[in-house]
Amino acid sequence: MNRNGKARVSFWLVQAIVAAGVGLSAARGGSGRVDLRFWPGKPREVVHIERVRPLRMESFYDDPQVVSDDELASVLKQVQPRFSPKNLRPNYVEHALRIWGEDARFSDPDVLSGVQLRDLLIDHGRYLASWGDRIKPLLVESREGVEVRWGREEGASVHHDHWLACLTEAGVALDEPIYTPSQHVRTINDAVQQALRDFQIDGREVEWSAMAFGLWLPPTRSWQTADGRTVSFDMLAHRLMRGDKRLGVCSGTHRVYSIVLLLRLDGLYSILSDDVRKEMMAHMRSVRQALIESQFEDGHWPSNWEKGAEAVKKPIDDTLQKKVIATGHHLEWLALAPEELHPPREQIRKAARWAIDTTVSRTPAQILEHFTFYSHVGGALSLWRKTRAADFWREHEDQATRSAEQAGEAEPESEKIPNDE
Amino acid sequence: MSTTLDPQQVEKAGEAPAAKHAFATLEDHVPLALRFPKVLAGFVALIGVVYCCYCYQRLHHTDLWGHLAYGRLVCTTHALPATEPLMPLAEGMPFVDTAWLSQVLGYRALAHWGPPGVQFLHAAAIAACFALLAYGFYSRTRSWLFSAAGLGLFETLNWFQFRIVRPQMAGLVCFVLLLAMLSARRWRRVYWMAIPLTIAVWANLHGSFIVGLGVIACACLGRTIDVWRRTHRLAAPLRDVPARRLFLLAELAAAAALLNPYGLRLYSEVLTFSQNPNLASLIEWDPLNFRTMQGQLCAAMALALAIVYRLSPRRVSAAEVLTLAALGASALWSARMLIWWTPVAAACFAIHGHAAWRRFFPLAGGEPASVRSGKWSVVTLGLMWIFFSYTPFGMRVLHGREGAIKDSVSRDTPVAAVAWLREHPPAGLVFNVFEWGDYLLWAGPPDVKVFVTSQAHLVPREIWRDYLSVINMSSGWTEAFDRYDVQALLLDKAERGDLIYSLRENKQWKRSFEDDLAVIFIRQAEAAEGAPTVH
Repeated sequence: MNRNGKARVSFWLVQAIVAAGVGLSAARGGSGRVDLRFWPGKPREVVHIERVRPLRMESFYDDPQVVSDDELASVLKQVQPRFSPKNLRPNYVEHALRIWGEDARFSDPDVLSGVQLRDLLIDHGRYLASWGDRIKPLLVESREGVEVRWGREEGASVHHDHWLACLTEAGVALDEPIYTPSQHVRTINDAVQQALRDFQIDGREVEWSAMAFGLWLPPTRSWQTADGRTVSFDMLAHRLMRGDKRLGVCSGTHRVYSIVLLLRLDGLYSILSDDVRKEMMAHMRSVRQALIESQFEDGHWPSNWEKGAEAVKKPIDDTLQKKVIATGHHLEWLALAPEELHPPREQIRKAARWAIDTTVSRTPAQILEHFTFYSHVGGALSLWRKTRAADFWREHEDQATRSAEQAGEAEPESEKIPNDE
Repeated sequence: MSTTLDPQQVEKAGEAPAAKHAFATLEDHVPLALRFPKVLAGFVALIGVVYCCYCYQRLHHTDLWGHLAYGRLVCTTHALPATEPLMPLAEGMPFVDTAWLSQVLGYRALAHWGPPGVQFLHAAAIAACFALLAYGFYSRTRSWLFSAAGLGLFETLNWFQFRIVRPQMAGLVCFVLLLAMLSARRWRRVYWMAIPLTIAVWANLHGSFIVGLGVIACACLGRTIDVWRRTHRLAAPLRDVPARRLFLLAELAAAAALLNPYGLRLYSEVLTFSQNPNLASLIEWDPLNFRTMQGQLCAAMALALAIVYRLSPRRVSAAEVLTLAALGASALWSARMLIWWTPVAAACFAIHGHAAWRRFFPLAGGEPASVRSGKWSVVTLGLMWIFFSYTPFGMRVLHGREGAIKDSVSRDTPVAAVAWLREHPPAGLVFNVFEWGDYLLWAGPPDVKVFVTSQAHLVPREIWRDYLSVINMSSGWTEAFDRYDVQALLLDKAERGDLIYSLRENKQWKRSFEDDLAVIFIRQAEAAEGAPTVH
């Protein structure tokens, strides 16, 4: 072979070696493992979600001794979304939507329906109609997804992923369109994927992310965030249990709610490891003990419930709102928790009695001022009757209509007032 | 051995003139192949002193211990972790251990010989770099003086970088070896194997192997430019044998780097590493700052190089310029990269400095060859033995002598504080300054939960931000202790005086240990009241 021939052979030999090396390496590691962050492209779907609608966690209990039909109707009447359409605060809308659901309908035209509530959150046009253009939009469009402006700013969703969790709890479909400020159409799936990508497990608030992911992802147990971190429900559970129980939003009660939700989901889909499940049960038993010891004579739980007996011995100066927060939120997760995590039923009934009396005795203005707190009472009591607020209310209204009709049929013709008058 | 007797002494003894000549010189019976040149003894003396000094250098208190902890983990589990294994707050973070082999070697050395083993590895790496550079300088200049000057510059420019023992030193040895092969006067067939092999080993020792690939690319591109400039024909480089050889070599080396546990993923990791936002808060990753001594030395070297190039009659190859410029630019981009520029700069200075010198002070008949004799072999070997034996490592190997740990580590290492924590293991997470996280991992209680270590790129962004907010006492900094359920604080008195002062006033924390260097606070059982509740 002459010199040129040798050179040609060596050239192709080297190309073959390089190609084989790259091919073998890619085959062994999988090209998916190569993360070229400097190479921008369309973000991949983090988790492919099969279900069209999110999971819904039903209560275990239907206990009229905790709340009777009439009491529930009275409480729900108080917490109807009777909001002024001007400057509708997303936090209020989210709270209303999560307890009433997307399919809520009311005969009273002053009360916003579930669809109206939902649309204010996912349609920038509706938001604009309520707030005008003087503040920043609620929806923030990203490259392929959608984020939500949250924090203490005016017109923002107050808590991280609360928007997503509430829409999820309300049962909004995965392909429900979201209309962004740039007039693009995204879907709830885009929002979920974005939340999964952006999730930071050590962020300030993870309670609602845990709920939303828990209701969408199972049986998937883990996913990868944008920075390549693998996050699992085990890690989420540890994060929710970490630190003093008083920490977290609403005196730490949302963390407890999310823990119970994950435990329930684990029962159905095995999303947690056995060890973590045991840790969670132990944690919840300590919560149960604290609740047993910290309940006041009138039935309410204080905001420092985690201190147990000491909270009663050395009571702190709690405002009524703080008591409503603690009691309403605890009643809510208790309705979802297995009985072994409950304080004695009598204590639950006392707490419910206090919550009912407190809620019913408020004026509409007082309720509206602290709607978010009272909405949890409404949600909790519905769960204790193993129903949804919207279903119960629809039934309640239908029954009232039927009763009215029956009463009307019995009335003499002359006393009827024509509608057109 | 060669020994010369005084002829007058022989004459006085009454010997015949013929015999006089026969006895005048004792014959050197050392085989020719084992007769070392005099200059070698000189270089051994020089490099030996450097080796000795670095053998006595105390181990730095920062990332070295983290690397050793990873090495310990790999040796214990016989597997490379896929996610960050040592920092609980970084659980799930993808972990590409670009220095796994160095970490294993370091850990093995420490396990066998204690801290002197690691000191030896560091000193041996530097000595190997010196030896390779000395060989390259001397074979090009035949001047002991300019070779020594080049080595001196190399040492001076790296004064700060050589003080820290880290896997990067293994990378530097590979880099200098690669430079030696690429700049060899004559191409040897063995380089077809040796260069890809060097890169393959380098890719397992340290993520800096990418610099080696860059240097080969510069050599190839430089040769292409040189050929094109000489012929003014675009196709000429394609037919140029050295250019083609370098191109193929670059390809082979790039493929050889895939011989690592991560395959292609290693490339992804090293190419994106510098984009990690956490590195922005580490000074060593900052751009080269000319207000620092390191920056000033670098600027002086650049100026000296400009002068030498102006005066040198030697041909300047494009590869040389490209390599100098590319590595210089990377050093400007990040001071950590300066270490790769220094051997090239020192080589260019020695070679062109010598050429410029000879331009003004020519030497008739060229440089004299160095004397080779058995005497210099003995001197050389004797020096090597002395330099080996009079070091902590030599004493450990020869006599089994073990020194106290505090004599082997830098004075900023929190030996006593960490020993205290070992005796009083904290119940949960320890908030520590990142510089001490590695040592705490290494020497602290088993399963200690450190907040961060100097492996900042593995720390999730939000945690790093919270760490900085505490360290800088930004608003709401104490809240992070509750949120992360921190149970103990390990702080350095030299840098965190304000933080320590503030914590002394805080009833939630009890000062449980204090020495000249560190303070440890332990969380008190009674938690603070009045946590803000927002709904």
